[in-house]
Amino acid sequence: MTLEAGGTLTGGGVRPPDVRFLGERRSYWRLFVRGALLLMVTLGIYRFWLMTDVRRFLWSNTVIAGEALEYVGTPLELLIGFLVAVAILIPVYTGFFLAALDLGTVGRLSGLLAFAALGVLGQYAVYRARRYRLTRTIYRGLRFHQDGSAWRYAICAVFWWALTALTLGLAYPFQLASLERYKMRNTFYGDLAGRFDGSGFRLLLRGLPMWLLVMAPLAVTVGAFVEVVDWRALADALAQGPDNVMTRIETGNPQFADVILFGTLMTIASAAMAAIFYPTFQAMILRWWSSGLRFGGIEITSRLRTRQVYSAYVRFLSWALLFSLVAGIIASGALYLADTLPGASGPGREIAVTGLGLVGYVILALGYSTIYRATVLLSLWQLGMESLQLSGLEALDRVKAIGKASSPLGEGLADALNVGGY
Amino acid sequence: MAQATTGTSSGAGIYFDGRTSARQEVTVALGETSLRIFAPAGTPLAEWPYDDIVGLSAPGATLRLGRRGGATLERLEILDAQLGAEIDTRAAYVDRGGLRQRRQRASVVGWTIAATVSLLLVAWFGVPAIAERLAPLVPAAAERKLGNAVAMQMRSILDSKRMGVAFECGNAAGERPGRAALDKMVHRLEAAALLPIPLQVAVVRRDEANAITLPGAQLYVFRGLIAKADSADEVAGVIAHEIGHVAHRDGTRSVLQAGGLSLLFGMLLGDFVGGGATVIAAKAVLQSSYSRHVEAAADLYGADLMVKAGGNPRALGAMIGKIGGATEPGMTILLDHPETKARVAAIERVAPPPAATPFLNAAEWSALKRVCSG
Repeated sequence: MTLEAGGTLTGGGVRPPDVRFLGERRSYWRLFVRGALLLMVTLGIYRFWLMTDVRRFLWSNTVIAGEALEYVGTPLELLIGFLVAVAILIPVYTGFFLAALDLGTVGRLSGLLAFAALGVLGQYAVYRARRYRLTRTIYRGLRFHQDGSAWRYAICAVFWWALTALTLGLAYPFQLASLERYKMRNTFYGDLAGRFDGSGFRLLLRGLPMWLLVMAPLAVTVGAFVEVVDWRALADALAQGPDNVMTRIETGNPQFADVILFGTLMTIASAAMAAIFYPTFQAMILRWWSSGLRFGGIEITSRLRTRQVYSAYVRFLSWALLFSLVAGIIASGALYLADTLPGASGPGREIAVTGLGLVGYVILALGYSTIYRATVLLSLWQLGMESLQLSGLEALDRVKAIGKASSPLGEGLADALNVGGY
Repeated sequence: MAQATTGTSSGAGIYFDGRTSARQEVTVALGETSLRIFAPAGTPLAEWPYDDIVGLSAPGATLRLGRRGGATLERLEILDAQLGAEIDTRAAYVDRGGLRQRRQRASVVGWTIAATVSLLLVAWFGVPAIAERLAPLVPAAAERKLGNAVAMQMRSILDSKRMGVAFECGNAAGERPGRAALDKMVHRLEAAALLPIPLQVAVVRRDEANAITLPGAQLYVFRGLIAKADSADEVAGVIAHEIGHVAHRDGTRSVLQAGGLSLLFGMLLGDFVGGGATVIAAKAVLQSSYSRHVEAAADLYGADLMVKAGGNPRALGAMIGKIGGATEPGMTILLDHPETKARVAAIERVAPPPAATPFLNAAEWSALKRVCSG
């Protein structure tokens, strides 16, 4: 291969893209709309089949260097993994329930303990689920696989999450880099070992302006509070009981209401900033992550454009708006009918309205999530894949098969703990 | 060779042998019982019996084939539609039209719906039945412990003004006569009820007309209820109703029911594409249906207890009629259902004793009215 010299455009013409995505948006929509309906009538049991269908669709339509990926996992495996996870989690949950009933120290600490234990277990599940997905991914007649200790990963991950929280997100790039290094170091395509070359520091530098813009309004708010509020007067006002508390705060701190208003506005500004920059952030992470992936001599570069990610979100927002409009019209029509229908009154009507409300809520929740998956998530997959450029592909001719299919327990745990991915 | 005489077709394919990732352009020949794969030079690479061949997911028009059972990951890809169709007719497990898959999917959907129906039946009939049988088996000490845990949570929710100890009425000097009147009323009911565990009754500073019972015979009467009552018997009626919950061990039962439901719906059914929403909805409907029966049973118990204690059971009906109309949303523990009239009618059917004695005299009643004045 001689692409290093010429890049994508060579003298003669355009080089075909290394990775193509052939899936039709319409088939994906159909998959999800049908899936949403079946999820509704099966109270969610259908999710194992839907998840498998979705993965089959995404994998088999992703063509890397002329050959499509293949997903060989089955819904039954997911169901069994989930049942095993339930068997493991029921005693754990029962233990926490009993501990919470204890009135002593154990009871008071039980919430914290449960949070920590489930956090570690959730990360364990994330790692094991990745292993399941990799070993069910076939490319050119060979499977991917993953070594490494899921417990070690889980403990590192929880440690990193805590550090990220304590540093208000500044440690996040290093967390991503470190965890990804561990995952990729233990990832193999046949006998071709993976690794991760992305640098956390570089990601930090790129993300820092966004972090500052989101944090600045909050910092200003904290500054204003420290500067303006007379803390002793405030504490006194609060200590005197609930009656007329606002009046007493006002006398001690005449500017208190202004500071609160200012703080609220600044928090809104910060949240708006975060929402506006979120697609940029997502594109930046995806680009950085893909460009750090390596398999033996194969190097990957991502040319993902931020603009494309924004257009995916615009599509999501317009569909969601349309859906809300239609749902609103139907709901007001139903309410009008319920009000005008003769003979509909008393308890029967109340039950009917409550029931309709619940059904409406379920339809809305499933609707929005379907739209999100069929717009943003599909686009991110497609854009992320199609923007990749691979070099060193000649290594693909000599990879040997190793690795076995792994158990679906991780997926089951991830599902039961709600930490599942694609 | 047999191939030549039976007129089998052949064509081009791409073969991966499952041992290395090398891509091999091959010739595929369709024999009578098996498919043979040859290297360009004519060397045979593999022979797959048709019954062993399975179709796999692939993009667009490509036909991707593998071996059934998956002992190896050998793959053969056919791009030629004509050849693909011929393989499809010979191999039973190749399913290009998707008919087999559709049939399989239909049976999956059918059975999942059946499973859902059976799950709902278990939730509707099974969970309350199990809870009902288990609740009496819970020892009183465990029930009391459970009650204390629930009480802690309940108080932190109810005591929204953070009054701490003063949240309970009847402790200040001016409130003690009211507390004594309440105790007199409770003792008369308790003596008639013959409960296995001692009652704990408290009046709390909440303005809703309501009362709640926690596991372990802990009873909270809101001061709003006393304010709304026109006689001591009406308050006694509501307390008798709540004692019904204690006697039926409804608190413990509802904890067991809630636990059972969370297990059924929260664990077995999970979350994908907001499937959780469905689960929450199903739970809400089921839980409200449980409480309907429970309240009706407590009404009857309360009316009977009033009779046993020599009081007028109609007072309970009168009180329910009064607060039924004014039930605040979100605070509907006593009356979380619309059929107030039907409940009152059921209580009216319980015959009052020939000579009902009021629970408190006028002085005691006015003291009870002031139990939260201090």
